[in-house]
Amino acid sequence: MPMIDLLHAELKRTWIQFIRYPTEVISGIVIIMAVFYGLFASAQYMAGPGFAFGDRLDAVVLGYAMWTLIISVNNDIAINLQIEAETGTLEQVFLSPYGAPRVFLARAFASLALRLVILVVVLLLLMGLSGSRLAFPPLLLLPLASLLLAGYGLAFLMGAAALVFKRVQQVLGIFQFLLLFLLAAPLEEATGLMQYLRFLLPMLPSTGLLRDLMARSLGLDWFTYGLALLNGIVYFALGLLVFRWAEATAKQRGSLSGY
Amino acid sequence: MQLAHRPTDGWAENSSSGSVVLDTRNLSKVYGRGKQRFEAVQQVSLTLRQGEVLAFLGPNGAGKTTTIKMIAGLVRPTQGQITVAGEDPHRQPRALRHIGAVLEGNRNLYWRLTPEENLEYFGVLRQVPRKVAHRRGLELLARFGLEEKRQTPVQKLSRGMQQKVAIAVALIHNPKLLLLDEPTLGLDVEASEMVKALVRQIAQEGRAVLLTTHQLDVAEELSDRVAIIRRGRIIAEQSTEALLREFSSSTTYHLEVEGDLSPQQIHTVTQLGATVQGRQITYAGTPEHLYGLLGALSPVPLVSVQRDRADLTQVFLKLVNDHSDSSHAHD
Ligand SMILES: Nc1ncnc2c1ncn2[C@@H]1O[C@H](COP(=O)(O)OP(=O)(O)O)[C@@H](O)[C@H]1O
Ligand SMILES: [Mg+2]
Repeated sequence: MPMIDLLHAELKRTWIQFIRYPTEVISGIVIIMAVFYGLFASAQYMAGPGFAFGDRLDAVVLGYAMWTLIISVNNDIAINLQIEAETGTLEQVFLSPYGAPRVFLARAFASLALRLVILVVVLLLLMGLSGSRLAFPPLLLLPLASLLLAGYGLAFLMGAAALVFKRVQQVLGIFQFLLLFLLAAPLEEATGLMQYLRFLLPMLPSTGLLRDLMARSLGLDWFTYGLALLNGIVYFALGLLVFRWAEATAKQRGSLSGY
Repeated sequence: MQLAHRPTDGWAENSSSGSVVLDTRNLSKVYGRGKQRFEAVQQVSLTLRQGEVLAFLGPNGAGKTTTIKMIAGLVRPTQGQITVAGEDPHRQPRALRHIGAVLEGNRNLYWRLTPEENLEYFGVLRQVPRKVAHRRGLELLARFGLEEKRQTPVQKLSRGMQQKVAIAVALIHNPKLLLLDEPTLGLDVEASEMVKALVRQIAQEGRAVLLTTHQLDVAEELSDRVAIIRRGRIIAEQSTEALLREFSSSTTYHLEVEGDLSPQQIHTVTQLGATVQGRQITYAGTPEHLYGLLGALSPVPLVSVQRDRADLTQVFLKLVNDHSDSSHAHD
């Protein structure tokens, strides 16, 4: 029950901090709208092989949406951690009897929820404007879940980096391209060793399944999904583990605040 | 059954019968390794009871903040134990329910949130049910005279108000121990006084308060006990009163005369234990003997007689200087 309270509190805090300065909100939404509008327009125009997710608009939009979602959740966790260490609220957060991993998990959920809401609003607006329709099979939720699990694991890894190294902007910059590769590279079509290795990389098995469902009109291969889920769970656990290590290291060095 | 008092607990016997809230044993912290190795805190043992205010006094860099953060579970001690209401904040996160802290620097709060929102958020973060956190938050705001500002983003409040909100937030989960790191630093006189009054109230409610300061007047006005820390070590720990009394028993008088003293007078005065430098006379002795000295000075006109009142500044300087002498001998 208290975890629900914590989640609620994080949602509320995230929302208030987001909405308190409307100009920031509007400019943020305008940027997202512009990017997606570009996607819509170019996908409709070219109708060829656009984004690596496949050649259908739905797939392109989904691919890009996943990319921005995971990047923003990662950024929210890592950059906010860094900012809060500098300003001083971070130590107050670490004073929570819940323990930092649970608080940051709640924060990651809150951040995802906020970004998702913004994204859905933007997509609905664009669908209204352009007359395009997006359609997603419900089964999609399964590989999405395993994808997000691995994505959260990465967010915790980035958070850990922020705790230990303080300056994470460059890492995050590189990370965005890494993510692009992980989300877009169609390694499920690879042959030979890569066919197996792809299960070891974060998110790759899940994105392959998403493409199966969206672009190739294939069903969900349950065995592959099992592996994708395992991949998600392992990366999530790894992220938490490294985060705890980073917490212990920061407390050891006395560097939770900006020291 | 009566438990025998340990000899080191002398001060505890005459202090209140309140239960022990904080107990640290031989806390030490070493930062860095190799050439960077630095012992910031060494062998700090403290005990703090309900309703007590302990001032942790020391110059900048003495290790006050490090100690406070070790107690709050934010910095891992290299050695030593901490118990807060019977629990170890480094082993049991539950122990944090007993601790409220306002740390040094200006931001213990989310600046985009209002006081009301900060209180509710941090309440939940400290495992207070949401509704209770909200209600307690409003009570605290009323008590701290912040009702009117409860919906103004913290960013727009004065520094003094921000500090009051930070203290309210530190109390939202009704902790037994309140840690305040330099609570009046950077506040104007009025805000300082407000914060001091609050700290007194908070102790009267039965909480234990550990505050650090390098401002002597703050320690003198607020604390029941003072622990003076220098280069990571506690060099004195006593009730504030006793510390002041001890140092004011040997009172120093400064006298000034208007004319020159005769050689005979200088001789007599020196015999009485005073030192003469031109027209300035310094005398460390009892008030009764002062009259003997005054008689010896007659008939040279007096300009002034002044008594040094021992305040913590002198105690502090004396202790710190004595220790630097003795530690130089060791170096
Ligand atoms: N995280 C840290 N890493 C290395 N040295 C530190 C760290 N924090 C504090 N110090 C050093 O330890 C000493 C004590 O610092 P601090 O506890 O902040 O003292 P105070 O609060 O009494 O001013 C200082 O010399 C400071 O430079
Ligand atoms: Mg300090």
